Amino acid sequence: MLTEFGKILIFLILGAVFVAGGLVTSWILRPKRPYPEKLSSYECGEEPVGNAWVRFNVRFYVIALVFLIFDVEVVFLFPWALVYRELGLFAFLEMAVFLIILLVGLAYVWVKGDLDWDKPKPEIPMLKRSVNLVQPKEVQEPTPV
Amino acid sequence: MVEQLIANLRGFIPEVSLAVTFCVALVAGLIVKKHQQEFISVLALVGTLIAGVFVLIYADQSQTLFSGMIVADPFATYFKVVITLCSIIIILFSQYSSEVQQTVKRMGEYYALLVAMTLGMFLMVGATNLLMMVLAIELTSLTSYILSGYTKEATDSSEASLKYIIYGALSTGLMLYGISILFGLTGATDMFGVNQALAAGPVNAIALLIASILIIAGFGYKISAVPFHFWTPDVYEGAPVTITAFLSVASKAAGFAVMIRFFKVCFIDSNVVGLPAGMWASLQGFEWNNLVAILAVLTMTLGNLVAVWQDNMKRLLAYSSIAHAGYMLMGVVVLSDKGVAAVLIYFAVYLFMNLGAFYCVMLVANKLGSEHIDSYKGLGHRAPLLSTAMVVFFISLAGLPPTAGFIGKLYLFAALLDAQWVWLAVIGALNSVVSLYYYVRVVRNMFLRDPEGSAEPVALPVAQVVILLALVIPTLVLGLYFGPLVDFANASVVMFGLP
Repeated sequence: MLTEFGKILIFLILGAVFVAGGLVTSWILRPKRPYPEKLSSYECGEEPVGNAWVRFNVRFYVIALVFLIFDVEVVFLFPWALVYRELGLFAFLEMAVFLIILLVGLAYVWVKGDLDWDKPKPEIPMLKRSVNLVQPKEVQEPTPV
Repeated sequence: MVEQLIANLRGFIPEVSLAVTFCVALVAGLIVKKHQQEFISVLALVGTLIAGVFVLIYADQSQTLFSGMIVADPFATYFKVVITLCSIIIILFSQYSSEVQQTVKRMGEYYALLVAMTLGMFLMVGATNLLMMVLAIELTSLTSYILSGYTKEATDSSEASLKYIIYGALSTGLMLYGISILFGLTGATDMFGVNQALAAGPVNAIALLIASILIIAGFGYKISAVPFHFWTPDVYEGAPVTITAFLSVASKAAGFAVMIRFFKVCFIDSNVVGLPAGMWASLQGFEWNNLVAILAVLTMTLGNLVAVWQDNMKRLLAYSSIAHAGYMLMGVVVLSDKGVAAVLIYFAVYLFMNLGAFYCVMLVANKLGSEHIDSYKGLGHRAPLLSTAMVVFFISLAGLPPTAGFIGKLYLFAALLDAQWVWLAVIGALNSVVSLYYYVRVVRNMFLRDPEGSAEPVALPVAQVVILLALVIPTLVLGLYFGPLVDFANASVVMFGLP
């Protein structure tokens, strides 16, 4: 008799077999006529520009983070709207607190200038450290991606 | 349901006030002008004080909150008091740390994160659900990663932060894996549920052992126990001194609290009766305290032996704090009421002496611009008060009377001998002797060596002297008059839901 985890194992094995089976079958059946355009990586129909392994601007990370916060907020708002009638004032206050906390985050990002894509040159304060002081190198203009 | 939530919030007021303080400090950091940044530290101080007052007001409650996620009980209250005291002292330290004060523009973040870290520790000491426990540990860890890289213009600070994240991510992963195995064995994430499932029938012993080892890896990282200690020296050296001091006391206290609660709640067998008072039996014959005993021996021996070779004061204190984690783990090995009380007493003592030692290092670094042990030569003549205070802290850390450190060790060893762990007590005592060597080495440099280079006196402002005295006096007084502390600790070994 299978345990619950045994069923998951079978599911995993079947999944792997399904993927591998599909690839192998099409490899056997398909005609093989490669040419350079076909072998290049697919970038939504555009001609590929350079390598995919480039360094992305670190600000994408901040944008993704901000997006995630507000995305999650909406996820919480939908179920809240469903039970709002039953819970009444308490639910309202609860969500108000939640939104205020998120707004603090938005205000923070705003004031810190992370919503502007063309961020002015970062100001690096020179810190005097008591030990092992290594002066920061000249700040380089970030290369836009 | 709503009424219940509101009732639960009442036991949660300390945490709520910390969360509010966090938001207020963050916004204040954005609004307040550059030259008024002290205002933020006052805000953080007031918020932490309010949280502390609420902890004391609700000190006698013992209840579970939010459907068994966390509890508020005397055990948690004791640790919350220690953590609150620690963060108040650290906020005061930060006023006089030249490292922190040079980063005026980001002061709001500094204090906000400090408060957030305190909040994470508050949640850690009360967590009774394994997932809540992981979340609380993560909240504490994430804030400490950022804070240890706070002086980001110094390369070693960024290095500290990066190393901390990598080790932290690994050990959290291991811990989560352990928890998932434990969940697979027992079908519960609630610690009481785990206990019931283990009491109901035998489970696979090897799986239980592996799960425990993996979970201990998570705790071991938090309390910097060997072999999970590798981050400690680098992080302690690279982080600003204030944050180092905070990590070495509060973060460690929270780690011990969550570890003790996990073992005690999950593995206590409440069906075995007739044991001596305060003792208890382990479920399924699982002798996890042998694991912890090995950890304790490794931790204190390695900490002490490596500290002997250190020339940087922060690294020396880092290894010394690893060694102290080893001593306190001996109390966890016993885990009788006496053992837990000994750990609690030790933490109250450790709070003052370790923060004091770090404060002295910070003041010296402010004045002399160095943390090297050689720059302490002749300091006894240049700054008599500072050096004398440092001697007191070091004597206390070494565990000699008449200081508080002696009382902490006394209760630990008494608890060990009481539970027949003689060999462990002997190793602990030998380790204390080794530790004496490197503490005395600093003292020798201060008083028996002539100053190199400048020999002019180092003057301290009055406010800094007051803080110094506020740490020296408890270190001495608790060594002579420790009755109330011991009573408080003995009353605080009570955990919610345990006999």
